[in-house]
Amino acid sequence: MNKLVIAAACAVVVTGAQADGGNYALDPTHTFVTFEVTHFGTSTNRARFDKKEGMVQFDRAARTGRVEITIDMASINSGVPPFDGHLRSKDILNVSEFPTAKFVGDKFSFSGDKVTAVAGTLTMMGQTHPVTLKANRFNCYLNPMFKREVCGGDFETVIQRSQWGVNYGLPAVAPDNVRLVVQVEAVKQ
Amino acid sequence: MKFPALLLTVTAASAAAQPAAYVLDPAHSFVHFEVLHFGTSTSRGRFGPIAGAVTLDRSAGRGAVSLRVPTTGVDTGLPVFNARLREADLLASTEFPDAYFVATRFRFEGDRLAEVRGEFTLRGVSQPLSLFARRFACRSDEGTEVCGGDFEGELLRSDFGATFGLPFVADRVRLLVQVEGRRH
Repeated sequence: MNKLVIAAACAVVVTGAQADGGNYALDPTHTFVTFEVTHFGTSTNRARFDKKEGMVQFDRAARTGRVEITIDMASINSGVPPFDGHLRSKDILNVSEFPTAKFVGDKFSFSGDKVTAVAGTLTMMGQTHPVTLKANRFNCYLNPMFKREVCGGDFETVIQRSQWGVNYGLPAVAPDNVRLVVQVEAVKQ
Repeated sequence: MKFPALLLTVTAASAAAQPAAYVLDPAHSFVHFEVLHFGTSTSRGRFGPIAGAVTLDRSAGRGAVSLRVPTTGVDTGLPVFNARLREADLLASTEFPDAYFVATRFRFEGDRLAEVRGEFTLRGVSQPLSLFARRFACRSDEGTEVCGGDFEGELLRSDFGATFGLPFVADRVRLLVQVEGRRH
């Protein structure tokens, strides 16, 4: 009887601990946002945001989570410095006035214990609109370097840039649809 | 009496068969690579701008391409990764500062380029590589013809001797190639 009570108490404690959710720190070396947009319908331009920070709370048992990622918009990197300069200018991302973009995802969808989508909002150039990141891949593993659990995956979404007022070159130079490709890994704290 | 007509036909045919030459536009010619990290997320990096020349003969369904891919300037967004990638057990950039893709086997579907088969040389090791066109188009840019597209290929890095980090960082590497060439 006592054993049962203790076991039940342990179960409650364990469940309670899991329900609190784990805090995960973004691993900046495996967390990147890259955008892809076609150029005159011919080829795909890609650029990556090199500086970002954020946090992840994730509870597989409760199937809940929250992620916040802040992107330093000036850190955009296409490999073509004049293109980066143009992207930062008032024509396109207006980085001097809007230095950061922020994704807040608080609706996690699961299949089994794998995250399949994270829905939330993207704030960019002063405007906030809903965005859902679809997981193409999700996994947790024990990282031998950190000796800690790392969870992460590959996410993507397609946004209409005009929703945020990014209208330059529509539609001939580059279309409204921009694909965001997101690599994320986060280390359990 | 039919000779002049025949001659004209031959002349016209050789004119049409004259391949057009293109020089890669450095603002729109890059190789991105993707490799899976711990089976969890995809790490990406970029080479380029890549340099090179392409000849295309769309009516004859032929072409040739010769690209130089500088590995010294590999860019992942992380200086520490870039330096690690340049080491001898990965890109070996000191000894082999460039990779090359040379191809003469072009497959067209109609006048749309579908596949380019050739040889990729990395770390001084040459292996066959096919790049599949996901997109291909030509347009006029203020009177100059520009052709380009998105190409995709896969290789096993161990085939080229780039073995560091196996199997935690996958052997299979996906290449995403953006090219645009201006006719000259």
